[in-house]
Amino acid sequence: MTKNHRLNSISAGTEAIFHVIIGLFSIGCIIPFIFVIIISFSAESSIREIGYSFLPKAWSAATYTYAVQRLPQIWRSYFNSVLITVVGTVLSTLMCALYSYALFRPDFKFRGFFNFLSFFTMIFGGGLVPTYVICTQILGLRENYAALIVPLLVSPFNIIIMRTFFKSSVPLELVEAATIDGSGEYSTFFRVVLPIAKPGLATIALLNSLAYWNDWYLSLLYIRQNKILQPLQALLMELQNNVEYLNRMSASLGSSAIQEAMRAPTQTLRMVLVVLIVVPIACAYPFFQRYIVAGLTIGSVKG
Amino acid sequence: MKKIIALALALIMVFALVGTQAYADKSDAVTLKIWFHGSNVAPDSSKKVLDELNVYLQDKIGAKLEVIWGTWGDFDQAVVTALAGGDDVDMVFTCNWSADEYNRYARDGYWVKLDDMLPEYAPDLLALIPEGIWECAKTNGYDGMGIYAIPALKDTATQNCWDVNGTLLAALGYDVDEVCAKGLDYYSDEFEEMLQKAKDYMAAQGENDFYPLCVEPMVLERLVNVSSIVTGDLGGGNVLSYYYDKDHPANDIGSVIVNKFGTPEFEAYAKRTYELAQKGFISPSIQNVGTSNDYRTACQNSGAYLISTQSYAYGCEIDFSNARGIDVRMVPASAPYMDATSGQGAMMAISAVSKNPEKALEFLNLLNTDPYVMTTLNYGLEGFTFEKNEDGTISFIEEGRSTYSPWRNGMGNVRILPPTADEGLTYWDDFAAYYNSAEALPYGAFIFDSSVVETEGAAIANIFAEYAFNLCSGATDPEAVLPEFLQKLEAAGMSDFVAAANDQLAAFLG
Repeated sequence: MTKNHRLNSISAGTEAIFHVIIGLFSIGCIIPFIFVIIISFSAESSIREIGYSFLPKAWSAATYTYAVQRLPQIWRSYFNSVLITVVGTVLSTLMCALYSYALFRPDFKFRGFFNFLSFFTMIFGGGLVPTYVICTQILGLRENYAALIVPLLVSPFNIIIMRTFFKSSVPLELVEAATIDGSGEYSTFFRVVLPIAKPGLATIALLNSLAYWNDWYLSLLYIRQNKILQPLQALLMELQNNVEYLNRMSASLGSSAIQEAMRAPTQTLRMVLVVLIVVPIACAYPFFQRYIVAGLTIGSVKG
Repeated sequence: MKKIIALALALIMVFALVGTQAYADKSDAVTLKIWFHGSNVAPDSSKKVLDELNVYLQDKIGAKLEVIWGTWGDFDQAVVTALAGGDDVDMVFTCNWSADEYNRYARDGYWVKLDDMLPEYAPDLLALIPEGIWECAKTNGYDGMGIYAIPALKDTATQNCWDVNGTLLAALGYDVDEVCAKGLDYYSDEFEEMLQKAKDYMAAQGENDFYPLCVEPMVLERLVNVSSIVTGDLGGGNVLSYYYDKDHPANDIGSVIVNKFGTPEFEAYAKRTYELAQKGFISPSIQNVGTSNDYRTACQNSGAYLISTQSYAYGCEIDFSNARGIDVRMVPASAPYMDATSGQGAMMAISAVSKNPEKALEFLNLLNTDPYVMTTLNYGLEGFTFEKNEDGTISFIEEGRSTYSPWRNGMGNVRILPPTADEGLTYWDDFAAYYNSAEALPYGAFIFDSSVVETEGAAIANIFAEYAFNLCSGATDPEAVLPEFLQKLEAAGMSDFVAAANDQLAAFLG
C-alpha cells in the first residue's frame, strides 16, 4: 500500500461502501434494460410457456428479422425520429440561446416583460383543446414535420437555466470589451459568448434532444392521416396502447377484442422496438457527457 | 452575416408556419373525411386502396373519401381532442363504450340528428336495417329524441357463453359433446368436480400453477346471474343489474333495474366464487385487477384453462380453436338477446361541423349497401389483399392483408362482405340467421341518463372500485365484506341512483 493520500480523501472503507452503493444503483438501472434485450431475443414460444425470464427456454432473432424486413414503417419512423431530433434540437437550442442571451443583457430595455412572458407560460398553460385549435387551425401544424417540431421549440425552463448559466459564466466586461474592439452584436454573441457557454448549450441541447426523441404525444395529436411521418416513439406507443386498450375493453367489445388482440404484435416485437429506440439515444450520451459534467458543476470554485 | 442569419431565421419560420399544405383539395369533388376505430393499416396500402375506391365513389356519388385510420390505442384520446377542437372530420366512429360515447356526445350536440335526412339521402339503408336496431340507435340528444348515428349491422346480439377447453375436457375422460350439450351449472357439484379433476390432472403432469377457472370476473357475474348491462351505467363499471329470462329473453319477468350487489343472487354468486377460489381454482392473478386481463388472455391463448367466460360472436369458436391450437367449445349460459348495445356497439356519426352532412349520409348509405364499397374498404383490393375463389369465397393474401386490416365490425354492414374460404360459403346467411333470431329484452333499447345523479355516481364509483372486483373474483369473503360494501353504497346514495334509473325506465316504457 502506498501512503500517497490526497488531501481530503476518504478512508478506503468508506470509499468501498460508496462504491458498493453506487454499484448497486447502477446495476438497478441497467438490469431492466438488459432484461428488455433478453426478452427481445427470446423465442415467442418461450414467453408463452414460462413468461418473461432471464433464461428463456429458446433464443431467437426472428423478431428482429421480421421487424427489419416486414415493417417498412420502422425505418421510416427511424428516419423521422432522427430528422425531428436533429432539426428540433438545433433550432430549439438556438432559440433558447438567443432568447436567454437577450434576457441576460442588462441593457435590454424590455427584459422584465420578456422574462415574465416566458415565466408565465411555465406556470399557466392554455390547456389541451385551445393549444390544439391554435396549432391546427391557425398555425397549420398538422400532418407535417413542423407539427412535430414547432410545439416543443421554446421551453421556458431551459431559458431560465440558460440565462442563469450566462449570468454565472459570462462576465459582462467581456461583452463590453468585444464591443469596444468593434465587434457587432451577432459577432459578439456567436464568436465570444457562445464558445464560453458551450457546457450550458450542451446541457440544453441534450435536454432538447431527449424531449424530441422521446416525444409521441405530438404525433398522436397532429399526425393522423399522414402516418408516414410518425416517429419511432409514436409507433411503439401505438402498438403498446393497442394491446392495453383491447385488454381493457374486452368486456364491452366481447370476442371482437380477442380476435383483434390475436393480430396485435407479439410481446417480443414490442421489446425489439424498445431496443431500437434506446440504442441511438444511449449513443448520444457520451458526446454530451463531457460538457454536462462541466455544465452542472459550473458556478462552483474551480481548482 | 447579420442579413444571412436574419434571412435564414425568416425562412425557417415561414417553413414552420406554412408547413406543407399537401392536403389541400384540388378537384371539384366533395372530399369526405371519415374516422375509423381499431385499424391496422399502413399508409401506402391505404393510398393504394383509396385511390381505386375514389374513382368509383366519384362516379357514384361525386365525392372522394379521406380516411383517418384510428387505432385502438390512439382513437379515444385523439378523437375527443379533435371533436372538442372542431376538426373538419365529416364522419366519426362512435359507440356506447368508447371515449366519444354516443349518447353523451349526442346530448352535447356533436352529432347531426339524422331522422329527417334518412328517407331522402339514405333510403336503402333505412330499409336495410331492422326496425329493432334503429330503435336501439335512438337517444335523447341535443335536438330531441332521435337517431344520431348509423348503427352497424354486425353482431347485433349479446350471448354469454362458457368457453370450454374441449381438448383438456376430453383428456379428463369426459364426453365433450355430452357435457357441452347439457350445459354447465356453476353451483353444481359436477362443476366443481370437473375443476378438481383438471387441477389434479395438470398437477400429475408437474404443472402446479394451473388454475382451471380462468374467467373475467365481471362477465362471470352477469353470466351466472343472467343479467344484462344497463346502458348508461357508471362509466368505470356496472353497479346496476337487469335480470332477464334465461331461455326466452323477451319474457317479461318484471322490468326493474336493481342494485347489482344487493340481490340474493349476487350474494350466492359471491359465496360460491369465494369458495371456488379458496379451493385453488382461480388464479390470484385473475383476482388482481391490474393483471387480470393480461393473465386471462395469456392463459386462453396458450390453452392453459378448463373453463372461461366469453361474450359470444357468431363463429368465434372456430377462430379461437385455430388460434389456440385446442378444441374450443362455446356452451351457452343463456339465449342471445338484444338491447341498446345491439345498436350501439359500433356506429358512424356525422359530425355537427361537417360541411356536407348530406353527402356524408349518401356515402354511409352506399357503404352499407354496396358490396363493392364495403369489400374494398374492409378487405382491400382483389389481387392485393385478397383473391377470389371459384366457389365465391375469398382468400386473403397475407402479405397485403397484414398491411391493410381495418376492424371489420367497426365499419358497418358486414353482412354484404364475401365470405372467406375458412368461413365457408353460407357463413353470412348463418350469421344473419343467428342474430336475427335473437329476442329483444323487455326493456328494449333503454338507455339510462346517469347525468341527473352525477354526484351520487361519482361517490358510488369510488366505492365500487374498492370492493366490486374483489367480490366478483372471489378474492374476499362476502360474509365479512358484502354487508360493509352495501352499507357504504347506501351511504353514497345508491338508492337514489337506482331509483333514478327506474324512474327513467318507467317513463321510457310509458
